[in-house]
Amino acid sequence: MNTAFINNKPYTFNTGESILAFVRRIEGEKSIPTLCDAPNLEAFGSCRVCSVEVAFEKDGKTKTVASCHTPVTTNLHIYHNTNSILELRKNIIELVLTDYPTDLINNKTKEKNELQQVVEAVGIKKIRYPKGANHFRIESDESHPYMRSDFSKCINCFRCIRACDEVQGEMVLSMAGRGFEAHVVKGFNQSFMDSDCVSCGACAQACPTGAISDVFESKNLENAKITRTICTYCGVGCNLEVATLNGKIKSIQAPYNAEVNQGHTCLKGRYAFKFYDHPDRLKTPLIKKDGIFKEVSWNEAYDFISSRLEKIKSENGADAIAGISSARTPNEENYLMQKFMRAVIGTNNIDCCARVCHSPTALGMQKTFGTGAATNSISELEFTDCIFVVGANPTNAHPVTGAKIKQKLMKGTVGIVVDPRKTQLAKYATYHLQLKPGTNVALLNMMLYFIITENMEDKEFIAKYCEGFEEMKNEILRLDISQLEKITGVDKNLVKQAAIAYAKANAAMEFHGLGVTEHYQGTYTVQLLADLAMITGNVGKKGAGVNPLRGQNNVQGAADMGAQPHQGAGYLDVTDASINKKYNQFYGVEVPSNIGYKIPEMFDAAIDGKLKALWVIGEDVVQTDPNTQKVMKALKNLDLLVVSELFMTETAKLATVILPASSFLEKEGTFTNGERRIQRVQKVVEPLENTKPDGQIIVEMMRKMGYNQCDYTAENMLKEISQIVPFFAGVKWDELGINGKQWPVKADGSDTEILHKDGFVRGKGKFYYCEYEESNEVKTNSKDYPYIITTNRELEHYNCGAMTRRTGNVEIVTEDFLLINPTDAEKNYIHDGDLVCVESPRGKVDIKAKITDEVKQGILSSTFHFPEIMLNNITSNEHDSEAMCPEYKVVSCRIRKSRGKNLVV
Amino acid sequence: MSKNLSELSGRKGIDDNLFERIGNSAQSTGSPSQEELSKIADEFLVGNANTFGTSSFYDFTKSENKGKKIYVCNGSACLCAGTQKNVSDILENHFKSEEIGHMTCLGRCYENSAFHYNGKNYSGRDIDNFSVNTPPKSFSKYVGNIDSNSFLTTPFEGFSEFSALIKKTLSRSPEDLLDEIKKSQIRGRGGAGFPMGLKWESCKNETSSQKFIICNADEGDPGAFSDRFLLEERPYSVLFGMIVAGYITGANRGILYIRAEYPEAVEIVQQAIDSIVKSAILTNTNGFNFVFKIIKAKGAYICGEETALINSIEGQRPEVRTRPPFPTQMGLFNKPTVVNNVETLASVHGIIKKGAEFFSKLGTPKSKGTKLVCLDSFFNNPGLYEVEMGSQLSDLVFKLGGGFKTPIKAMQIGGPLGGIVPVSMINELTIDFESFASHGFLLGHASIVCIPESFPMINYLEHLMEFAAYESCGKCFPCRLGTKRGHELLHSAIHENNKIEHSLFQDLLNTLQQASLCAHGGGIPLPIKNAMYYFENELNAYFKK
Repeated sequence: MNTAFINNKPYTFNTGESILAFVRRIEGEKSIPTLCDAPNLEAFGSCRVCSVEVAFEKDGKTKTVASCHTPVTTNLHIYHNTNSILELRKNIIELVLTDYPTDLINNKTKEKNELQQVVEAVGIKKIRYPKGANHFRIESDESHPYMRSDFSKCINCFRCIRACDEVQGEMVLSMAGRGFEAHVVKGFNQSFMDSDCVSCGACAQACPTGAISDVFESKNLENAKITRTICTYCGVGCNLEVATLNGKIKSIQAPYNAEVNQGHTCLKGRYAFKFYDHPDRLKTPLIKKDGIFKEVSWNEAYDFISSRLEKIKSENGADAIAGISSARTPNEENYLMQKFMRAVIGTNNIDCCARVCHSPTALGMQKTFGTGAATNSISELEFTDCIFVVGANPTNAHPVTGAKIKQKLMKGTVGIVVDPRKTQLAKYATYHLQLKPGTNVALLNMMLYFIITENMEDKEFIAKYCEGFEEMKNEILRLDISQLEKITGVDKNLVKQAAIAYAKANAAMEFHGLGVTEHYQGTYTVQLLADLAMITGNVGKKGAGVNPLRGQNNVQGAADMGAQPHQGAGYLDVTDASINKKYNQFYGVEVPSNIGYKIPEMFDAAIDGKLKALWVIGEDVVQTDPNTQKVMKALKNLDLLVVSELFMTETAKLATVILPASSFLEKEGTFTNGERRIQRVQKVVEPLENTKPDGQIIVEMMRKMGYNQCDYTAENMLKEISQIVPFFAGVKWDELGINGKQWPVKADGSDTEILHKDGFVRGKGKFYYCEYEESNEVKTNSKDYPYIITTNRELEHYNCGAMTRRTGNVEIVTEDFLLINPTDAEKNYIHDGDLVCVESPRGKVDIKAKITDEVKQGILSSTFHFPEIMLNNITSNEHDSEAMCPEYKVVSCRIRKSRGKNLVV
Repeated sequence: MSKNLSELSGRKGIDDNLFERIGNSAQSTGSPSQEELSKIADEFLVGNANTFGTSSFYDFTKSENKGKKIYVCNGSACLCAGTQKNVSDILENHFKSEEIGHMTCLGRCYENSAFHYNGKNYSGRDIDNFSVNTPPKSFSKYVGNIDSNSFLTTPFEGFSEFSALIKKTLSRSPEDLLDEIKKSQIRGRGGAGFPMGLKWESCKNETSSQKFIICNADEGDPGAFSDRFLLEERPYSVLFGMIVAGYITGANRGILYIRAEYPEAVEIVQQAIDSIVKSAILTNTNGFNFVFKIIKAKGAYICGEETALINSIEGQRPEVRTRPPFPTQMGLFNKPTVVNNVETLASVHGIIKKGAEFFSKLGTPKSKGTKLVCLDSFFNNPGLYEVEMGSQLSDLVFKLGGGFKTPIKAMQIGGPLGGIVPVSMINELTIDFESFASHGFLLGHASIVCIPESFPMINYLEHLMEFAAYESCGKCFPCRLGTKRGHELLHSAIHENNKIEHSLFQDLLNTLQQASLCAHGGGIPLPIKNAMYYFENELNAYFKK
């Protein structure tokens, strides 16, 4: 059936395949040249270089068509290298070169761009046209820390414009003018810096000539070594191809064959790597003596730490020691850290930053579904009819996933966004439920109510796979919707429409972020999200599910590996005797069976004097954990604070011992992204001299303290992990391939795209009724502190900013801002750019105002990327009632125009 | 052809239209301000670059248009007639030269001296008495024959005949009507000659809650004023065709995209629409509703190409789309869309009234029905004629047109992309698609612009290439670069005495013809090749082997 002919030879084509794809599949990538086609863009048909001749019968009357946008049809005869076609390509390229500033025919500059390759491939000898009008005099744009343009080299292939539109969805680029005068513009013909460019670099990667490029000249590198690894900046897990020359990183590109990011990434992944050899890197172990850090050797540091730990352990018991592992480090290192605490120290006092971000997700989803991880995969966006985003701003915090969601919303997929801020996705969504911070539970209960009263439950699914429905339903039906409407501040009719849209979709996909979890009722909100997915049958099928957007790159993995106080590696309950026995056997020592401290409890214990020593890896708890003053008080009260870090962070400043660790670019291991995908992190460059990968540090400490641990290699560690973590059973370093595997990975190596496919992991999916309760923070303080500030993230910065502030990103976003509604600003005599004093019962900070209708009246928002501001001075001790995740999203405060300089109380 | 832009523009639907908003924001000064463009971009959720890019495309929104007050026609017919220098000279007494712009073809080819001022078109003797306060005289009568075979020129006998025919038509089933259209074998009059029944059927077969019928009233071909005639004198015929198209395909919105150069047409069609709305004949007739909307174009010849036109309505830059998908599958706002030209739509009422058989009996085996043709002012009887397909060209030229006023060496027939027919070929051609194609010409819309003996052919070719380059959308490489280089070569040959390398010029024409994305770049070589063949001796001086 699907037979077509290439130069009279028959081949089978795929339905819908273009002639270009067909011929290249059979005869190789180089069989047809092109200038406007790109792997991640739709066919466009502008360059016409891919023209071929087609006929409906052998040697029949031919017609010239562009192969990129002409589909193959049955019995089509394709002739792609006739003399006439070869001449035609030469003639087109000759025209292109009449308006190209350098001589690519007698290439003396040795440009190696794609145009140069096409010029060579078509074999053009000379340009016969006399000199005519041209665009050689366009000035280049060097306004931006990363992006560059030199439009004298532009050949009008539109790739950059299409990448900005089809990939990033930003539409910063367009053509202007027409005919020969048509030229690419940024915004209103502005510079990159003045335009709305988000610096994702998709245009630079797409450009075939260097008309748009970046400061790293990613595509002009010859003889560079390319290493494929995984980005460190968020839970999306973009694959990166890092180019190095003589052991120095030159540039980063995104591989087109990456299942996660298909040739795309954001400015953090692509450009923000220069922190790795920044002069500020810590290069030697330091021990604080009389308040001053002294340089020491690694051995001295190890001796010092181990003797102190032994002493504390013998005097105060193992539970006087705790560890905070890092969600930025690979699985293998997290596994080792929890093993160190449990098997070497003998305590379950191990936690990680999941505590302060997605611990309610893990708990809530374990309670309802049986597994605390995303049920589905990002690629299933292709199959969904409704995207429900709750408390997440992925275009900033998970940019590649955000861009994919945005693409869907722009193309008309129903979008429901629940967020106190008018985020970018909210603008594109069908429904924006702009609720008051802290009222998620009330709002989701409204949605459940309407789905039930509209009789839109998936009764079959509920009966077959779930339990607890009737109990939940009875409670829901008792709710006073008008009262909930008042609490949330969202029109009940709008909620009703959104609920119906969600329930009506064939497959609806939920995404949630820290706007769900970092609340007094965080875990309950997750349970309600699970309720909504179950009541509509949106679990266990393609294009559906509950999908937490994990914050740090390996926060999924850190929890999987047991960096939490109640569950060991593989989420096994430490208090269960049989499990405890299993661990004892596996580790060869007795491990404790009492639940350890969660991070906030560690600080309380330190203040109480019960906790004496803490080892923190790659986490700036002073800057990023809530209530800075309290955190500092706790750390200062310790006998021993060990900090493994890249930089002198606010936390490191308080350390007793600092261990200079290696960055993700200098080590190997695996990161597990937000869709449970275990991917290989490969060493790109050698560790900076005298720094060590955390895995090696931990192994050396284990040995120092008498535990016989094998050498740190990713392969070794995975071999060990796969024997104790059930869902890692089939994970082998050299079988992970370029795109990794999604857990659970069975012993035979097969992996899992969708969880809970035939029933839930916990047996039956469990419905919970969760009643709305106002946060203590607001209950207690709203009278004196009438505003609510909710914290958020900027695209350009990552967490405490220790890395991104040491890259060009800091030139793009230079400080934290306070988002404030125009009416509130006017009421308080605040102008754009004024310093505002924001005061909570914990303290106050001065921060610059950005007046915007992104937030409603009474609501403020800001970030905590910059230590100069230390926004967490004002955040509270309140936390999720179940998982102890801090309530960063609801902070009562009052504001006034500041009298002057930044104050830190 | 951004799918995202199509969808985002489509969210607001056709009533709050991105293109119109950009156009309206240009009205006060001739070109929109950045603030306005930014506000519109925010509202439609598109980029600033998009509103800016769009406004920079059109003659009447781009920043160069700021401050223009009066526009002189620079179409081919007025050029050959040599009337426009006088027009400009006189206007310079009333306006600063930077206030005088150009429009390409106001459709006054039968009397020339055409210009546009303050929303009105002037031509013929108007220039002699021009003052800013004198309205244009009602233009000359320019309609030739009307006889029993006429479809297009026959008017409805009042609104009652129109509404009666609508009622009668809508009582038939869509399938039955489609069958009638198919049986008539009518082919599109826009140039490509695609069977209209097939186009409508393809749209009918698509499943979509929304479909559109677009009347392409943006054919800016110099020399052709047949669309203008139909819009201004037979608006009900055009609207009738759209209604039937909507009824058959299941579309409930009809959009007329009318040239900015035809302000009177916009007014007259709007009046006809208002009458239809007032009569309520299209409100829920057998469950069928049909709502019209006029979109005023902003001056870009390429918008006559159907996919550029769709992009234009969406507020995108009118760059030509690739096909497939065809508009009937994925057109305006990515919804199934029929785009027909004015004359094609205006034929429908005749087919319905007189029957498919009557229509299909007229003409040749492959070209059915009648055709409107326009004769320019070089004819003794200039104006518009309706002739049966297959009629002798010589009959048109000599019997109807009355022959030429002054010696003519060639006629460009079918617009700037139509062939250049030397007078020696007049007796060889009949007016139908096949006769023209087989002789290496193109019927197009069959309007005729005469090239007098005294007019150097090389200058005419330069004019054509300049027009092609100026109106190229700039998307595909061959057209964007090729028309520019072609114009430079011809210009330099005329004005700088640089002979053109013959083989290079042939390569250029072949590249344009073979590789261009649409008929704009693909079509321009045809008249040039005709001229180089038939006027080799005259042109030889400008070429070297």
